[in-house]
Amino acid sequence: MRAHEGTARRYAKALYELAHASGDAEAVGRELEEVAAVYAGDAGARDVLTRPWIKPVDRRGVATAIAQKAGARKLVQDFVGLVAERGRADHLPEIIATYRLLVDAGLGRARAQVRTAAAFTDAEKQQLAGRLERALGKRIIVEEQVDATLLGGFVAQVGSLILDGSLDGQLARMRQRLARG
Amino acid sequence: MIRVLAIAALLLGAAPSAALANEGGGGLISLDKSILIQAINFGLLLFILIKLLYKPLMTKMQERTEAIRSSLEEAKAARAEAERERAEHAAKLQASYAEAQAIRASALKEAGEEQRRLVEAARAEAARLVETARNELAQDVRRARQDLRQEVADLATTVAERLIRKSLRDEDHRRIIEDAIGRVDRVS
Repeated sequence: MRAHEGTARRYAKALYELAHASGDAEAVGRELEEVAAVYAGDAGARDVLTRPWIKPVDRRGVATAIAQKAGARKLVQDFVGLVAERGRADHLPEIIATYRLLVDAGLGRARAQVRTAAAFTDAEKQQLAGRLERALGKRIIVEEQVDATLLGGFVAQVGSLILDGSLDGQLARMRQRLARG
Repeated sequence: MIRVLAIAALLLGAAPSAALANEGGGGLISLDKSILIQAINFGLLLFILIKLLYKPLMTKMQERTEAIRSSLEEAKAARAEAERERAEHAAKLQASYAEAQAIRASALKEAGEEQRRLVEAARAEAARLVETARNELAQDVRRARQDLRQEVADLATTVAERLIRKSLRDEDHRRIIEDAIGRVDRVS
């Protein structure tokens, strides 16, 4: 996985520099995510792109066709074609995640991955984003995920910062205090 | 052999005497020419007796005396030697007894020292064992307390979690989320 991260970072950085130069970094990111969604939903395409004995040229052709089908621009088509040709199609999720971080960093914003026991209302999302923006000094995009295993409240992660506002965390702290006596 | 010769001489001396007595028909001794013969006979007999009986007897007696004296001297020497050896043995025995006494005293002293050392070592070992047992006991108590606290903590949180999960309603979730959002400011 560490090797994946290093490779994904190199590809994501190259794409970001090209997209940033054309001023469409965010749109390129969205298109890339759409291509990845199509790729993820097409088992046949996955088979072709991940099998090493398929010719690189054929892999490139398939990947470009998928991107075209997803309505991606030429830059995105060429990029996924290159990734497939080099046999790195299975790195796409990591490339997209890294690309998103680069775009966010370029725009001076960060993403808050929020696990919550009950779905946030729009007002709660805005309230949380506002508080985090004030606390961290950058724009925050809240990405919410409902987690039924949580008892109540939420756990938010922004980069390496983790905010535990869940009942589970409170119970864990209570358990530690009781155990310490 | 010598005795046989002496008896024969006596018989030879007696025979002429008896003949002379028969011829005279009178007493035991006749004062005539036969007395000379008797005297010669007596002298001859005396000579033979001295020669054949007395001297060997004396020689033999002398030899016996010498032998007895020699035996007595040897016995005396042997007694002196025995006395000397006895004294020597007594001295050795005394020395051995003294040495045995010294060894016994030394052994008793060493045994006493060894006993004292063993008792001290046993006391030290007993003290160490007691200390070790005390430490282990204290450690076990600490561990048991910690285990008990952990179990109580697990049980309490498990029960609390069940109760909370059962009783939470949507408005509770909203309030909890709102409280948590309110605490975000403290991050900075």
